[in-house]
This record gives sequence, C-alpha cells and structure tokens, in this order.
Amino acid sequence: MAVLDRRGAKPAPRSAQRTWLWGALLALPTAWMVAFFVFSMAIVVLLSFGRTTNDGFPAFATSTANYRALWNDVYLELFWRSLLYALATVAISVLIAYPVAYAVALHGGRYKNALIAAIVVPFFASYLIRMYAWKALLSDDGLVNSGLRGSGLSDGVTFLNTPWAVIGGLVYGFVVFMILPIYASLERLDVSLIEAGKDLYHGPVRTFFSVTLPATRAGLYGGVLLVFLPALGDFVSAQLLGGASTFMMGNLVQQQFTEGQNWPLGSALTVAMMAALTVLMVAYLRATSTQAQEP
Amino acid sequence: MSTAPMSTTAATTPSVSLRSLTKTFGGSIVVDALDLDIASGEFFSLLGPSGCGKTTTLRMIAGFSDPTSGTVLVGGEDVTSTPPHRRDVNTVFQSYALFEHLDVRGNVGFGLRRRGLDKATLNRRVSDMLELVELGDRGKERPSRLSGGQRQRVALARALINEPKVLLLDEPLAALDLKLRRAMQAELKAIQREVGITFLFVTHDQDEALSMSDRVAIMNEGVIEQCGTPEDVYEHPTSVFAAGFIGTSNLMSGTWSSGCVAISPTVSIPAPGHQGSAEGDSVSVAVRPEKIWLSDLTPAMFRLPGTIVATSYHGATTQHLVSITPDLTLTVLEQNLPRMRADDRWIPGDRVEMGWLPEHTVVLR
Amino acid sequence: MARARRLERKPMFAVVVTAVFFAWLYLPILAVALFSLNDKKSLSTFSGFSLRWYDDLVHNDALIDSLLASLKIATVATVGSLVLGTMLALGLERVRSRRGRVIGAVTLLPLVTPEIVTGVAALLLFTGVGLKLSMTTVILAEITFSIAYVTVIVRGRLAGVSLEVEEAARDLGCTPFQALRLVILPTLVPALVGAGLLVFALVFDDFVLAFFTTGVDPQPLPVRVYSSIRFGVSPAINAIGTLMLIGSALLIVAALVLPRLFGRGTSSLDLITGGQK
Repeated sequence: MAVLDRRGAKPAPRSAQRTWLWGALLALPTAWMVAFFVFSMAIVVLLSFGRTTNDGFPAFATSTANYRALWNDVYLELFWRSLLYALATVAISVLIAYPVAYAVALHGGRYKNALIAAIVVPFFASYLIRMYAWKALLSDDGLVNSGLRGSGLSDGVTFLNTPWAVIGGLVYGFVVFMILPIYASLERLDVSLIEAGKDLYHGPVRTFFSVTLPATRAGLYGGVLLVFLPALGDFVSAQLLGGASTFMMGNLVQQQFTEGQNWPLGSALTVAMMAALTVLMVAYLRATSTQAQEP
Repeated sequence: MSTAPMSTTAATTPSVSLRSLTKTFGGSIVVDALDLDIASGEFFSLLGPSGCGKTTTLRMIAGFSDPTSGTVLVGGEDVTSTPPHRRDVNTVFQSYALFEHLDVRGNVGFGLRRRGLDKATLNRRVSDMLELVELGDRGKERPSRLSGGQRQRVALARALINEPKVLLLDEPLAALDLKLRRAMQAELKAIQREVGITFLFVTHDQDEALSMSDRVAIMNEGVIEQCGTPEDVYEHPTSVFAAGFIGTSNLMSGTWSSGCVAISPTVSIPAPGHQGSAEGDSVSVAVRPEKIWLSDLTPAMFRLPGTIVATSYHGATTQHLVSITPDLTLTVLEQNLPRMRADDRWIPGDRVEMGWLPEHTVVLR
Repeated sequence: MARARRLERKPMFAVVVTAVFFAWLYLPILAVALFSLNDKKSLSTFSGFSLRWYDDLVHNDALIDSLLASLKIATVATVGSLVLGTMLALGLERVRSRRGRVIGAVTLLPLVTPEIVTGVAALLLFTGVGLKLSMTTVILAEITFSIAYVTVIVRGRLAGVSLEVEEAARDLGCTPFQALRLVILPTLVPALVGAGLLVFALVFDDFVLAFFTTGVDPQPLPVRVYSSIRFGVSPAINAIGTLMLIGSALLIVAALVLPRLFGRGTSSLDLITGGQK
C-alpha cells in the first residue's frame, strides 16, 4: 500500500470552468433591470425634488416644495380615500375568494382544472376592456338600468360615479389574485383535517374559522398583498367608473403627467405612494410572519 | 488507517488512485486525507452510513467537486484539475438523471455522439449495449414511459457504453424495491464481469456491498476504517465501528489479561490469535451471533452458560437473547434446520450452554 | 389519494356559489360581445344581428395601425423577455450566493409595484436620457415588466430538472455550455412556450405602461381604445373589445394547455394550482 505522505499533498487547483457560465448569464439581465428599473426609480426620486421651469419643462433641483405641497387637506384626503378603497377591495375579495376557492378545490372533482382555467383566463385578458364592460353595463342607458326601468323596479339608478362602482371595478379586476393563492393553499390542505374539525366543532362556520382559515393562512396573506398593492395604485377603475369625487392617488399622478404638466409634483406623489406602500407592506409582512411562528 | 495489501506490480496501474484526498466544507472535514488504490477490473464498494463522505469522494473522482487538497489519478494520470467532460470516468446517478427529451437510444448514444462517432458505428454500439442490459426492444421509447428498473438500466447503459476507465455508481439501486434490487445486484455483477470495467460502487447497504464486491472499503466520518475483501471485512473487523456496521455483533468490553479478555470477574474469553495488546489494556471484543451455537458443541469451542431471555422466529432463522449476567445479554442466531423438532425449541427461562470457536472471537482496540 | 377526495356532504352551496361567481364574472364580457353584434347603436336593447361595427373596424385605418403596432410590440417584447428571463432563471438557479438572492428579489419587484409607478419611472427615464417616445420605448418598458413573469415560470420548470441531469450531460462529454444547449434548454421548451404565450397576451393588452411610454403615432391598441372610451361608450368599442378579449382568451388558454402536451407538471396551470399530487 502506498505510503501516506501528507507532506507532499498539494492544494488542488480550482476548476475554473464551473460557475463562469452561470454568472455570465446573470450579467445581461441584471444590467437591464438595473438600467431600466432601478435607475428609472432613482430618477423619479431625483425629480421629486425638482421644479418646473418658466417654459413649463421639468428640471432637476433640490427643493422640497413638492413634498410640502403634498401635505395639505386635499391630497391627504385623496390618500385616505385610496387606502380605504384598497382595503375595501381586499375585504370584498376575501369574502368572494374563499367560497369560490373552497367550492372549486373541495367540490370541483374532475372539473377543478377546467374551472380554475375558466376563472383565470378572463383575468389575464385585457383589464381595460373589462372595466369598459362594467361602464357599459352600469351607465344610465346601459343594460342594468334599462332592465330596472323595463321591469318597473325603479326609474334608473346612478351606478357610475360612485365609490361602490370604483370599488366594484377594483374587485372585478383583482379578485383572481386572491382566489389563486387561497385555492393553492386549500389544494394542499388535508381534507381529513376539515372532517376532524367538523366532528370537533359541530358546525360548518366554526369549523371554517377554527380549522380551514388558520390552515390556509399563507394563501390568504399572499392574496391580501397581491390585491392591495395594485388596487392602491390603480387609476383606470376610478377614471372609467368614477368621477371627480372618487379620485384616487393614481388619478392624481396621471393628471400631473398629462393635463397638469407638473412632472416634479407627479414624481413626488409617486414617491409618496411608493413610500406609503413600502411602509404598509413591511409592517404587514412583519405582522404576518410573527404570527406564522406561533405554534 | 488500514488498507488490505494489494499486489500492484509495475505493469498493472490502478484504475483509480486517491492520494491524501481531502475535502472541507466551511470548517468541517468531510473527506479526510484518503489514500486508496482501486485495481483495474475490480468491483469495489465504498460502504458507509449517510454523511460519511462516500458520495463526496465519488463526486471528486467524477470531477463535480473540487478537492480542498490531494490528488485524484485515473489510469495513472493526474486528473485533479481536469473538468468532468474530459475525464475518462462515467457516472450512474442515484436519480438516474435521464434526458427526458430524448428516447432511450438517444440517451444511451449521447456520450458517443459527443465524441463524433460516425452514425453506423454509433447505432451498432447502442444496439449492442441495449442487448447487454436487456432493453433491446425499448430503444425508441421515452424515459417517462419506463419502469424504475428499466430507467436504471438505461442509466447504466448510457454510462457503460463509453468504456470508461472506471464506472462510478452512486447508490444506483436505492430507489428500487427489494425484489428488484436483488435481481439488479446479480445483473450488475454479471455485467461487470462480462465487460471487465472497474466499478466503484457507493452504498450504505452492507448486504449489497458484501454480495457484489471484490473489495469493500468501510468509510466513517471521512476516513476509511477498513478495506479488504468481503470475508476479510466481515470475519476480521479491525474497529468497533466496522464490527457494528457490517452485520450485527455482540460487543463487549473488558480487560486484556494473559491471552484472554476478562469481560467480568467470572468470565474470561480466550483470544489466541490476538496480538498487540499489553497486559491490562482495555479492549472490546466482538462475536457474531451466527457463530454462537446452542447445541452440537464441539470440544474446541469456548463455552459459556446462560439463560434464554427471549426468542423470535424469523422463518429461516431463530434469534435468541441469552443472558450471561443480569446486565450482559448476547444475541444468538440459529438456523432452523430440519432436524429440529417442535419440542426441541428453546423457550425463555431455559438454561443453555453457548459455544463458539476461539477464532471467531475478535478483539478490537 | 385522500387529499383529492371531495367532502362528503351536499355540494349545493358550492354549485350555487360557483354559478353566481361565474355569472358575475362573465356577464359583462358576454354583454360586450352581444351588443357588438347589435344593428343599432343602443347598448341596452338588442334589435337585431349585424356585423356593421366590425365592418367599420376593418375600415378604420387608425385602429388597424394600432392593432399592427400592438402586435409588433407584443412580438418583440415576448422575444426579448423570453431571452432575458431565461438567462436570469438559469443564472439564479445555479448561483446560490447572497448576490444571487438579491438579484432574484430585485427582478421580482416589477410584479409587486403598481403599474403606474413603473410607467412614470419609465417615462422619466426615457425623457431624461433624451429618448423620444415611440414604439421602441413601449417595447423597452414592456420587456422590463415581463421579465419577471418569464423568470418565475422558467424557474418553476427548472427546479424540476435536477442538477444531476446537467451533471450527467457533463459527465458524458459536454462542456457546461453544451450541457445548457443540448440538455437543459430542450427540457425548458414547454415552459418557454407557456411563458411566451402568456407574456404576449399580457403585453398586447397592457394599458398603463403603454399609456406612459407611447409616442404620438402609432399608439398601441389599448391606448387608442382608452381614448375612445373617454368620449363614451359605443358599439364600436364593443366590437374591438370583443376581438381583444377573444384573442387574449385564446392565447391564455393555449398558454395553459399547450405545455401540458409535453408532459405533466410543465404548464403554468400546474404552477398556479400547485401541481397535481
């Protein structure tokens, strides 16, 4: 047997060919994301400290005027309204998503995948047109009102231009992002848990709150986030289904970059919106993750 | 560290040689200065529990893991810094790792195609190899349509067809059920004999290692505890770990005194062949359960009285627990031979005399 | 397979809930489609079948320009995001360092950022650099936004292709690059098909990003439709809307179904629904 000669053992050379390829693959997309996403965000922040020149063009500066302008009743009211609408959207989405996800996951049987596909397909097909569809339905000469008039139930109700129309639009637009995570959670759930719960709790409602809800918590939390974020920043629903009294933050931002032509203010608004979103999201993630650590 | 002596004349270069091969992962030593020679044409097994470093060693030989220090030689050549695709080594992976987008023939011929073999020769060799692993009629199928055993054979064929200097097998039978495993063990052994390629087989199943190998190396915590033929390793374990890992052993501790091991004030087991212990040393002694007899004792046997504590029937064998003293119990394995009549069987409470040949007493430090 | 078992009780509530939901979901869409075939201008009384609104569409040059522009944008954006997204997915799967995880997180940011923010940011970037708004700027913005979708879908598929398959390729004589080309990419084809179709539909229909980054002419289809909607509802919009919905629906269905033909566990549907056990 060969003699053990530890003195002669040389340190092995690194085989260099292993990770260069994967690192190289990362380089281009990362550069793209940095350039087009990270960098663009940075410019928004920079311009929020800017001003408008006399010719009406945006210019970089170091002024906090835009932020100070935000701190007034009109804008704050807008912020609270957006927050309220987004929360309402989330709440209604939960109320809709749970029964639907539950029905499909636990009673769907062979048709489960077809049902889910039938739910998903409309949601990924033109958000704009679907908002338009409601606008058409709910307008004063629309189908709903003519039905109401025709059946003598009422003289016509103004659906549009109300908070409920806007919230309804938001729900219609984003509820799928609540349904899917909850559905995925329910799919992974062991049905015998629910049956055991029914034995224990003697009632579907109590079983739901004591067994099903805690077990699908992860899906719920994910869904809340995925609905709240786009809802808060949305402007299409408010624009098409609402009016001046239902303006959301998104509408205001859009205004600054179109008719208002006040890009620095628009930037400041955007930054404020992102800041608010980040704060809310971090607080939310903190709260939900500490809950998850409970036994 | 003990490795069984091997005749290495100048003419027979080992297929694989490891010299002081070491691998550390973030501060802990996973493979500790391994030295090993595997002869050409050998069926060599690397046996050990999970985490002992056997798979890491395999990966270093294949080239998927860089050693921290030391060298790997394949066919006498230093390949430590050679990338896997240029080493004359092929691997059969535990998960088979078949290419799902190619059919069986595409999988098997993959390595040859990389080498630029002409179509006719390639097809012929693929057909031959498929015949060897008895998949001749499955050439055009996709891996997803094959059973576990068939997939395993495709993985083997795919690696073997390249005629490497050494074929590495990483627990290839682990995913198969018992009956299939037994069948595949026999097949693998037959194929190895037929093609004559060196096999390096990694497993945690000592049964597998013993039945298939020409030599076995027992690994534990990064070192090779013992290396030798299956009989060597089984009959003459050189460490407590080896004695316990391969098969079962009755392990007792005692003191070496005038050619015997005193395991209690009243019991001294003679061990005539043992050398290297001084008077008064603490030693361990191991006796295999099947070496202990309860009847038909011969004069040469060392005898020890005891009481049957428990008995369990295992079809071909019966296992008895026999106590010598209140806190020392030995396991005895008896073959259920036809001459035993129903009323001959031992029951708990019976006084028995155990006996075994002194050469079956293994003394370990 | 206890998990897939249905609960043993009358599913009446389930049927009702699902029916009501689907009615609410599809009613507006069906109404749009129905009244696009109306022979009069009304959106509340259906008086007879007519294809006149579709006929008008065909003769509306501006609209056709927008349609072609949207198709072009969607095509280029799909190719771009597939390439970049796949590169990203491959790199992220193999590079396990801290840096890799940070990059992974950053690439997912567009998914959780409200579109208006990315739209504004893109607008400022392009004007700040002096790039005139045009189809190109729309394409650049859409690619940035879509990379995340591709990365998620491809990574999902990649996770199922074990590291050992790549090692097997290298063991059999492939350089790392050949292993990628000959073994990994072919296995990814189903995921790429699904992701590509999904991204195409999303980009084609996208409004917010296009709104902020488009030039004056031609405008992407959703932006032009939006301008029309600002003036009020009309059957003409119903017609183009119906076409957009049908087109997108076909693409999404294909995206969900096609990869399945390649085998279980490879379609986006499986990724969404957590896969079949």
